Amino acid sequence: MSISLEKVTKRFGVTFGVEDVTTVIPSGALTAILGPSGAGKSTLLKLIGGLVTPDEGRIFIDDDDVTDVDPRHRNIGFCFQNYAPFRHMTVAKNVAYGLKVRHRPRAEIAARVEEMLELVRLSALANRYPAQLSGGEMQRMALARALAISPRVLLLDEPFGALDAQVRAELRTWIKELHDRIHVTTVLVTHDQNEAMEVADSLIVLNEGHVEQTGTPTDLYDHPASEFVLQFLGPSTNVFGQAVRPHDLIIVTAGQGWPATVTEISTLGFEIRVAIVLENGDAAWLQQSRAEFDTHPVTIGQAIGVQRRDATVSPVGTRLDPAARSTEAVPDDRALTQRAP
Amino acid sequence: MTASVIAPVAEPVRNRETNTRRRLPLRLLAIAYVSLLIGLPVAFLFGKAFGLGVGTFWHQITEPGALDALELSAKVAAIVVPVNTVVGIGAGLLLARRRFPGKRLLDLTFDVPIAISPIIIGLSLFLAYSKIGAFGPWLFKHGFMLVFSVPGIVLATMAVSLPYVLRSIVPVLIEIGETQEQAARTLGAGMWRRLFTITLPAIRWALLYGIALTLARTLGEFGAVLIVSGNVTDKTQTLPIYIYDAWDQVPTNDAGAFSGAVLLALISITVLVVLSILRARERRLRVDIA
Repeated sequence: MSISLEKVTKRFGVTFGVEDVTTVIPSGALTAILGPSGAGKSTLLKLIGGLVTPDEGRIFIDDDDVTDVDPRHRNIGFCFQNYAPFRHMTVAKNVAYGLKVRHRPRAEIAARVEEMLELVRLSALANRYPAQLSGGEMQRMALARALAISPRVLLLDEPFGALDAQVRAELRTWIKELHDRIHVTTVLVTHDQNEAMEVADSLIVLNEGHVEQTGTPTDLYDHPASEFVLQFLGPSTNVFGQAVRPHDLIIVTAGQGWPATVTEISTLGFEIRVAIVLENGDAAWLQQSRAEFDTHPVTIGQAIGVQRRDATVSPVGTRLDPAARSTEAVPDDRALTQRAP
Repeated sequence: MTASVIAPVAEPVRNRETNTRRRLPLRLLAIAYVSLLIGLPVAFLFGKAFGLGVGTFWHQITEPGALDALELSAKVAAIVVPVNTVVGIGAGLLLARRRFPGKRLLDLTFDVPIAISPIIIGLSLFLAYSKIGAFGPWLFKHGFMLVFSVPGIVLATMAVSLPYVLRSIVPVLIEIGETQEQAARTLGAGMWRRLFTITLPAIRWALLYGIALTLARTLGEFGAVLIVSGNVTDKTQTLPIYIYDAWDQVPTNDAGAFSGAVLLALISITVLVVLSILRARERRLRVDIA
């Protein structure tokens, strides 16, 4: 079930609104809405869910115009940032809620609840109350509750926001696996670019209520449509006023490229960061693999040349033909460092 | 909450003992203050009423005037408590969940019965609805007599006990937020289902507390009711007014006044005990959540 938004606008005052958003969320995919806080990410999700009504524009789920449809009739699964557990009900009752509302026969509800709890691995905790669950368990309960009604789309608002780092990582992998199994069109909101890049098939980058760019994580990383996207998705540094990825800069012999001086070298395991100062006094840094660095080592104070890696990355604003891109050779070390923060 | 529950366990025992010793004078002071203000006078009242003999007490509270008053108080409570519960829930949801022009004014209006003397409410109702009042003549012409009658008493009691349900539930409604209701909505639940399966169960202890307060206030209201009831013996006497009447007679009907007062106190104390149990349960529930 695809979701499409046509010129959707919702204004709240200074922040959190969205302005003239037109986008299509592909059917069956896991799409992440990504952006800094206040960019309108949650608003966009709530617009799809019907919890917020747009000032202008139309929203379609699978060609049905749902703009004026109450959330209770949209048949969506919505997971809230705080999980919104029904605190006076057991885990099993929480999961059964949407089915009871639909007046399903008792036996069917029981079977479905069991199936859902098994899916989210909470069968052993069926009779616990939310207050007795950990954050990760509550998140999985919220997922089971949303999925029990067989929703057309699954909407997750900051699903990992309130969890500690280890649980986050586990749940991230788990959601990806879950999505691979059930294939329901899923949209999740996050402010964490690593999380979005790791988990999502496609990204919608929001900034101040506007869609900056949409596409696959690799596409956006390699061909950012704006400096904002480049800086927001992964590391960046400035060379003569132009933002570039630090691993897209290479060191060449002095006299070639832009003249620069090495000011600092930090070894972060496999990655080496070389801080440099350019001719005009601007500071920048570049990222190399250990192997790359060892082949042509430099020392602090050394005069070097710096130039763009003549590679897959296009300057900001231009996009390569995807067919052409797939035939290009990607240097081995780049493949290894491209997801480093 | 969890932290405050765990903290005393970690505290060294010696430390706790010194704390207790230091707090002892403060505790005695608090107990003495409450005893002199409420405990002793109420004890004397009970002593006086039962000092006449349990038989006399029973005779006094079962004489027709007392029974009529008790019946009227019960009737008034049976109308006022449900009505104010429904109004309180509705207004509470409105104040906690919606934004609308005049919201602050509405919020403030609900505090009026707490802030001002009940006798002012009684006088205001009298001025509005009595025969010499603003709407009185029109109402009278159409066969409604709100003052010096049971409807007047109900109206006055309703006005003074209006805020209690609302004031009990609004903080809890704000604290739990709207997301549980929104989640139920996305799962397909309509407005009434959300109210009865999500919102009311979530605020149930606060709501019961508010209802208990409303009941206590309804049974005990004197000032506002006195003005509008006209104090017609056997007809418009609630229990507090019956007590006042017995006390005010020449010669004073001591036995009637004290027995009636003890009966009213016993009812109120029962409400108080139920209330404290509810409070403890709510506190336990909140610790669970935290």
